[in-house]
Amino acid sequence: MTLLLAATIGILFGTGAFLLMKPDLFRIVVGIVLVSNAANLTVMANGLSRGQSPILPIERGVTISDPLVQAMTITAVVIGFGVTALLLSLAYRIYVSSRTVDLDELSHAEARHEAELEREDVSV
Amino acid sequence: MDVAIVLLVPWAAAALLAMFDGRRPWVGWTAVGALTATVAISVALAAGAFGSEPSATVAGGWPAGIGIELRADPLGVLFIVLSNAVLLSALVYQVAAGVRARIFPALVLFLAAGLTGLFLTADVFNFYVFFELSMIAAYALAVYGDEARQLIAGFIFAVVNLLGSFLFLIGVAAIYHVTGTLEMDAVAARIAAVDPSATIMIAVAIFVAFGVKLGLFPFHFWLPTVYTSASPAVAAMLSGAVANIGSYGLLRFGAGILTDELRLGATVLIAIGTLSILYGALQAISRRTSAEVLAYSAIGQAGYVLIALGIGGPVGIAAAIVYAIVNSINKALLFLVTRIRGWLVAGAFAIGAFSVAGIPPTAGFFGKVELFRAGIEENSIALVALIFLGGALSFVYMFQIYQHDFWSRQRRTGPESPLPLRAIAAVLAVVVVALGFWPEPILWASREAADVLIAGSEP
Repeated sequence: MTLLLAATIGILFGTGAFLLMKPDLFRIVVGIVLVSNAANLTVMANGLSRGQSPILPIERGVTISDPLVQAMTITAVVIGFGVTALLLSLAYRIYVSSRTVDLDELSHAEARHEAELEREDVSV
Repeated sequence: MDVAIVLLVPWAAAALLAMFDGRRPWVGWTAVGALTATVAISVALAAGAFGSEPSATVAGGWPAGIGIELRADPLGVLFIVLSNAVLLSALVYQVAAGVRARIFPALVLFLAAGLTGLFLTADVFNFYVFFELSMIAAYALAVYGDEARQLIAGFIFAVVNLLGSFLFLIGVAAIYHVTGTLEMDAVAARIAAVDPSATIMIAVAIFVAFGVKLGLFPFHFWLPTVYTSASPAVAAMLSGAVANIGSYGLLRFGAGILTDELRLGATVLIAIGTLSILYGALQAISRRTSAEVLAYSAIGQAGYVLIALGIGGPVGIAAAIVYAIVNSINKALLFLVTRIRGWLVAGAFAIGAFSVAGIPPTAGFFGKVELFRAGIEENSIALVALIFLGGALSFVYMFQIYQHDFWSRQRRTGPESPLPLRAIAAVLAVVVVALGFWPEPILWASREAADVLIAGSEP
């Protein structure tokens, strides 16, 4: 189980990191989502334990599984959800204002802007 | 007094003000009022933490050890007072200049609540939650202004910092796995018994997370774009308050919890700090707009904090705290004056520039003196020389930009900025000078905080 989880986390994180390097805003968002899920899964994997589900009433003398990691993961999932919404809305705003989601094109526009600043600077 | 009040005031005010249109002056001034109250409560809390008894409370009325503890210890309250004061000055600046986004005042209050919680919490996972709360507010603030390049900068800011946050979350999970607890004190006590091969990985993950936040050399690439495109008030908040997460995190987790790992990695920290200082200073010298120079200067200044932390011991850690405090006031002042004109402005900028270069009688001088003390304590001529060189380089870039901005016609012509904006700059400049003339409180508080931090980390 540990090996399986480690492999899943590795693949998730690796795929996410790969997507983060793409010059496409939406691929980057998907990359962040994957990395965030890799982190959530890591939290779960770190408290993996066998036992009865930790719901009252608990019988005396039996081992129960660790509920704390579940609580942490649900919190992290909610945070990840909020962050994804924010990133998507940012990406959409960039698309609306620049009509492209390609980071290369966006940085060309940025470079042109800087060149303009440079010219203004020299003229003063 | 209950510790939680300092957290509840900005949080409740933010939730309330989020429902109103922030472009109306009364909403902005209500936010200013709420933040002023927060600063006042933080100061009262600080008086308690340095005085008789440090106050603590367990959230939800749980018994200690089960619930999440909020405690006001000297290091935490120092950063609470500092960050909230910086946020307040930036908020007053923006409200006086006119807010152009409906959510802006509420976001600043959310940021204040997030930062306050982060500096208060004694729980590792709770730290992550507040960390994200303040960062989400910061991402939204970074795009304030809605220009195309701000949106792109904000997007990059969010993506890079999220990657850092998730690394931190993985570090938190690993801490829980090896120690079986999330309480900072218990973690500090138990982590010494854990196999170093595991704890070093945790320390690296956490170091990278805070390095990204602070904008240290190899993790700095997002910083210049964001600081240069953000509006002055937001840049002041990011560099004067949000970057404190990095310094505080390194102090709390490095010097307070992972002490053995900090000692083990001291050489690496000093090397990265040196690279940051040199890279930041050399890049800053080659730039010509004040926002760019300040952005690269922020990278260099973060390096000093790291070096002081690498030196360690009571002197080194106290120096790191002093430097972090002084640096965030300097940066708040300098970013706020980048786009205003008129009488008082050049003087305020010059004082900020003196402070960055470490020239008396400004607060920055004592930041540098503390670093020199730490370097001498370490018996390292190389470090003392490096700090001197860094100071000399920052003198060059600060005055290059001063000359470019204030001796050219560009900044001297055109309409003067409204008086309230210049008044805020003047107040911050007076604070910098006052701390230069009377640095004892800040030096004493930093030493006290360093002592408590070191005492807490010993099992």
